[in-house]
Amino acid sequence: MTFNAFLRAGVACATIALAGAAAAEPLKIALVETLSGPQASTGLLYRTAVQYQIGKINAAGGFNGEKIALVEYDNQGGPVGAADRVKAAIADGAQIILQGSSSAVAGQITEDVRKFNLRNKGKEVLYLNLGAEALELTGAKCHFYHFRFSPNAAIRFKTVALGMKGKGILGTRAYAIDQNYSWGVDVENTVVANAKEIGYEVVDKTLHEVNKIQDFSPYVAKIQAANVDTVFTGNWSNDLLLLMKAASGAGLKARFATAFLDQPGNIGNAGAIAEGHVVSTPFNPEANGDATRVFAEDYKAVTGHYPAYVEPAAVFGLMLFGEALKDVKLDGGKIDTTKIALSIEKATVKTPMGDYSMRSDDHQAQFPMVVQTVSKEAKVKADGTEFGFLPIKSFTGAESIDPVQSTCSMQRPG
Amino acid sequence: MDQILFALLNGAIYGLLLFMVSAGLTLIFGMMGVLNFAHASFYMLGAYLAYTLQPLTGFWLAIILAPLIVAGLGILVERVILRRVHAYGHAHELLVTFGLSVVIAEIIKIFYGNFPVEYRVPAELQFSAFEIGGGSYPFYRLFMGGVALMMFALLYLMLTRTRIGIVVRSAIYRPRMVEALGHNVPMVFMGVFGVGAFLAGLAGAVAGAFYTTNPNMALELGVMVFVVVVVGGLGSLGGAMIASLLIGVVTSLAVGVKVSIASLLDFIGLGDLARDVGGIFVLELSSVAATLPFFLMLLVLLARPSGLLGEKE
Amino acid sequence: MTLKRSLLVLAVVAVLAVLPYLVSESMTNAAIQMLIAALFASAFSLLCGQAGMLSFGHAAYFGLGSFAAVHAMNAFNGEGLLPTPLIPLAGAGIGLLAGIGAGWFSTKRAGVYFAMITLALAELLHALAPHLKDTFGGEAGISSFRMAAWGFDFGSTIQVYYLVLAWVVGSILLLYLLTLTPFGRLTLGLRENTHRLRFLGYNTHALGTAVFTISAMFAGIAGSLQAVNIEAANYVVFDAGISTTVVLNSFIGGVGTFFGPAIGAAVMTFFGHVTSDMTRTWLLYQGLIFVLVMMFLPRGIVGEAAEWLKNRKSRHLAIGPLFFRLAGLVLIAFGAIAAIELAQRFFSSDYKATVSLGNWPPVTFLGREWLPFAATTWIVPLALLGAGVALTLIVNRHTAKAAGEA
Repeated sequence: MTFNAFLRAGVACATIALAGAAAAEPLKIALVETLSGPQASTGLLYRTAVQYQIGKINAAGGFNGEKIALVEYDNQGGPVGAADRVKAAIADGAQIILQGSSSAVAGQITEDVRKFNLRNKGKEVLYLNLGAEALELTGAKCHFYHFRFSPNAAIRFKTVALGMKGKGILGTRAYAIDQNYSWGVDVENTVVANAKEIGYEVVDKTLHEVNKIQDFSPYVAKIQAANVDTVFTGNWSNDLLLLMKAASGAGLKARFATAFLDQPGNIGNAGAIAEGHVVSTPFNPEANGDATRVFAEDYKAVTGHYPAYVEPAAVFGLMLFGEALKDVKLDGGKIDTTKIALSIEKATVKTPMGDYSMRSDDHQAQFPMVVQTVSKEAKVKADGTEFGFLPIKSFTGAESIDPVQSTCSMQRPG
Repeated sequence: MDQILFALLNGAIYGLLLFMVSAGLTLIFGMMGVLNFAHASFYMLGAYLAYTLQPLTGFWLAIILAPLIVAGLGILVERVILRRVHAYGHAHELLVTFGLSVVIAEIIKIFYGNFPVEYRVPAELQFSAFEIGGGSYPFYRLFMGGVALMMFALLYLMLTRTRIGIVVRSAIYRPRMVEALGHNVPMVFMGVFGVGAFLAGLAGAVAGAFYTTNPNMALELGVMVFVVVVVGGLGSLGGAMIASLLIGVVTSLAVGVKVSIASLLDFIGLGDLARDVGGIFVLELSSVAATLPFFLMLLVLLARPSGLLGEKE
Repeated sequence: MTLKRSLLVLAVVAVLAVLPYLVSESMTNAAIQMLIAALFASAFSLLCGQAGMLSFGHAAYFGLGSFAAVHAMNAFNGEGLLPTPLIPLAGAGIGLLAGIGAGWFSTKRAGVYFAMITLALAELLHALAPHLKDTFGGEAGISSFRMAAWGFDFGSTIQVYYLVLAWVVGSILLLYLLTLTPFGRLTLGLRENTHRLRFLGYNTHALGTAVFTISAMFAGIAGSLQAVNIEAANYVVFDAGISTTVVLNSFIGGVGTFFGPAIGAAVMTFFGHVTSDMTRTWLLYQGLIFVLVMMFLPRGIVGEAAEWLKNRKSRHLAIGPLFFRLAGLVLIAFGAIAAIELAQRFFSSDYKATVSLGNWPPVTFLGREWLPFAATTWIVPLALLGAGVALTLIVNRHTAKAAGEA
């Protein structure tokens, strides 16, 4: 046995030992995330969220009479590393793959899982996508063993526009600035497609390079010239921060409608510049009274911080997964992932935010979204600043979800 | 018109920032023949150190102290690592600095985490300088440009008007001759390395507050700085200045240009044909603005490899 | 090649041939990555080690090979002209073509200018590729499927392993044979003295282009093997990180020897495979190893080992100092790892979050709890580090003295 396998076996043994007498085969879950390198920040958040919720499931008795074994793999940030680690995980006996950050990695994993399942009938592996938001994953690339537990561009930008309109801060003139790759293009298409129905005009739009631009002021100059009320942007990380900073530097009055403003560090770094900008996410600690507050406090007690950014979506998704596991009765027998998949399709769970279910047509989860704005009035502050996210409008799962894409043709088992 | 002026101004100021980082790199290359991969890491170190010092010393002292510490680190790198590797050849020197840049980025991540840190422009400097094109122009941008210009002036005067400058310039061209004349060339190298690191650190301390201070900032700027140095001519300070401004302005202007190869071919009636082919022919200049510097670098390398103002080949 | 070395190489190949039956499936998978990295490094080193041209953009040819393979797999469906086992020919072809073009341009210049041209070409490709969706599939990449051919279904890791092994061993053998030909000797001349070659009447530009082309061709084969392995290609293979990794791997192994780069690449790939799941700071260790190798083992691991073996007989006391040096190294390594891992834990965001709740809990490392302000927490790693450095310095002084007396 190699050292690495030895180490993993040790971890597994320890889990089993803690669980008491080992009778049946434990369910093995592999988290294949970006845990090192430049893009590790988001991957590590998924890790925290997954550990939190799998811990809860195990505390409630696990699955099939056993604790669930969670093993972590570092995909090193790219599709190549991910392909390698998925293989390694399956070779080590993983039946379920979890992953969330990066759509490029998700595209690789979902294809790898599909191919593996084609070649290994009866030993299918599930891929639970906790956060890759590219529409393609539930569109052209959809398949029965992939489930998406996060929002996508259509959900995010429909709810954010509706929420702002409801609050009377949308205005009529809008600008779309996005990163030039599938996610950004998805956002731009959604924003343009929704314009008529929701009631705004897309005056101009821009696609720019991803994570390469240091100075956004030329783009801001273009936005300024368009004289708009709202700027829709799917930008994340540095591209969002630099865009907001350049906008504030130039005194741009428009409001930003975003998808990823709540990334840790953003509010701390932008400070007052972020005030008044809007984001639509699956969670806010103040969105649903006690339920959300209790969850937020519990999460903080376990992990050390309030749930933020991608964490809540991952936790809620695994809540549904845990609920689905309850309905799979194997009586200590061999684990059947197809049964688990079928059960996920049928399950509904009440998360702190409300009803959560899985649409069986394309395996896009359906869950409440909350539109929120950066404000000093928010009770939970972000990054130790005086600002936090104040909910302005909530949407149920049915209101939020986008129609099934025509490109998805799913082959069901049996 | 206002928009173009705005873009020009922004491009020039971004260019000046590039210059501050590349000035040290080009001097170091000129003298030691080393393309220092870790140079942009000094830029990052400057930003992180200033961020760390700011609560203790205030902003002004922080942006002076941080580059000084970076200069010290730079001298240490030259003395302990580069001087040892020098004997093994240029490839080894270049690669050891590359390894160093990885190490610095990873150490930063250990202490400050993966997310951007809260390093911001102090409130007293956050005001608008003047109105342009319907928007206000932040004073801090002008401040960054001003710092860079001042550094250029100082460096230029030092190199051309002082005795040390003469020794440094001659050490670039004929290191052995200078050594034979009794000057301590390794000491000069060390000093230049320190000054280069100081400049990069200063650029980081000043610009980190305006842009973001994150563990990837060295990576993001690093390649661009290489391009500046190559285009300007390895070892030429004036060349680096021109190349920085050129690259800053070109990328800034290109953003507003919706021209593709197909639309150019329209002039000779082949536009539609090109559009049918698609691919590279229909890419708009604005969406590939960030690749322009590489085009520029290739052109320069093929047509005039010594760079715009370089004399050595 | 001496008889001894040939036997050694044969033994290695024999071990590789039975490897899948000795190790777990996930290790076989790691072995595939190592083989591909080894071939890529060997191809790179033909250019860098033998012809003395440091390329910073070899990811371009590796990546093009990858995409060629994926397109070929999709176009032929594993039948007809290019059945699955012959797919790497597509990568070789595109590598050859790209190599002729890029090689002709870049070998016009030498030294650091050559490096910059290769870097610029690769960066351009990297920047343009995601925009050319038809060719490179956007950031989702292009996916394909290994079809059955020649009686194999290529569904299992083991079958892929043998396919990759055959190609890698064959390619490295060809590269080796190349060094024995007159052309191979001329390549060395290109590195040692270009002017002399030119005065002797050789067309050095054509020669450089040819070497570049061959190197790009084998890089293309390596890339296509990767595409065959993961059944996909993504534009991130053009990333500068891939170009620099191959440079680092080759130099760690030692570009002065033929097998050094391959061994270096295999070792470092294995290192990444093992450590990346164990520690979040594995990139730091990789960087440190590289810096240390550059500083203290300038010929690379294999190069220095070969040198040591060669001089072994002339140095009587070599074993003794070597032992103490290794002991010092082990102490330094343990001290450094302990310090880094503890610092990483104390400065992690998880730990900061728990501290904000008011207490300073211990962290676990090596199954033991360490308190942030306990003296032992920091004295133990620093003492290890100090002892290691001291030991090394003492050994150095002793050997210097012995050399002085002798």
